[in-house]
Amino acid sequence: MFRLFNTPVWFHGWDILVEAVILLVVLLIAAYSWRIYKFNHENRFAYFSLAFIFLALGLLFEMLTSGIVYFTPVRDVAADVLRPVAGPRLVFSGLLYRGGFFLQMAPILGAWLLIFFISQKPRERLRKFYELSQIALFVYLILLISIVSNFKYFVFYLTSAVLLGLIVLNYYKNYLENNNQHTYRIMLAFLLILASNILLVFVFLVPSLYVLGEIVALAGFLLLLYTYNSITAR
Amino acid sequence: MSSNRRSRLELISDILLAIQNKGGKIKPTHLMYKSNLSHKLLNSYLEELLQKELVRVEEEYVKKRKATSKTVVITEKGLNFLSEFRRMREFTDAFGL
Repeated sequence: MFRLFNTPVWFHGWDILVEAVILLVVLLIAAYSWRIYKFNHENRFAYFSLAFIFLALGLLFEMLTSGIVYFTPVRDVAADVLRPVAGPRLVFSGLLYRGGFFLQMAPILGAWLLIFFISQKPRERLRKFYELSQIALFVYLILLISIVSNFKYFVFYLTSAVLLGLIVLNYYKNYLENNNQHTYRIMLAFLLILASNILLVFVFLVPSLYVLGEIVALAGFLLLLYTYNSITAR
Repeated sequence: MSSNRRSRLELISDILLAIQNKGGKIKPTHLMYKSNLSHKLLNSYLEELLQKELVRVEEEYVKKRKATSKTVVITEKGLNFLSEFRRMREFTDAFGL
């Protein structure tokens, strides 16, 4: 069976639960951002929604691949479904696992990249040709990194951490500009998500860091949920 | 040079906010000053707001002048629009959009 890295056995399943909670938070934010887009037809809200949909897609594939890796019944069902493409005696299953991991990494990196671009000022940058070509370059690099990460998983978390570092910097500037509780919490939430990705880089040294990384990520997304709720529930 | 032009939705929200700040009803002339719009522009926006039932126009008899005067009144729908717009602006600011 193909695995990216070893995780504590007692945490198997709990991490899927953590990701399910994160998935709900992410979908809520995507839906609200889409609602604003339908209201004012400004592209940045559609892009922001798209970024969170990418995150949701990545999380879905992560939950799916984890479920297949951890639980034999799920693996058997997946094997039955994928038998026509996995070949006789599942000889291509390794390739399918790598495909699954690619589909979990590429959307997440794409999401961080999109959030980084959107959170950056000045405005209307996505319309300019030279910046679109920059995005194309980044997309190429993200696809490349997602493939390389299949062999060296920490490249994924390292790239995530770099992009999140840039996002945190943008949100720090936003906090200095607006100086209110919401902007502070958003900055802090992304800082926690950044910390979780840094922790996950070192899972190959200490596997239990995976548990800590997942919990810190959950705390970050719950803080996003709290901020979202304090804005929309008024 | 940075542009501080208000978007269409911001203008609508400013008009509704000006009415709300005046206790829910305001004279068109006051509204023009409060929302910082020209007479022509304000009329075109008011027409839209009336169509969308975000405001309504009431006529009142003024004893002093022995004539009727118009007041613009914010509706329940207008108040809902304002609070929704406020939430969206907070979301936009929070996420640096």
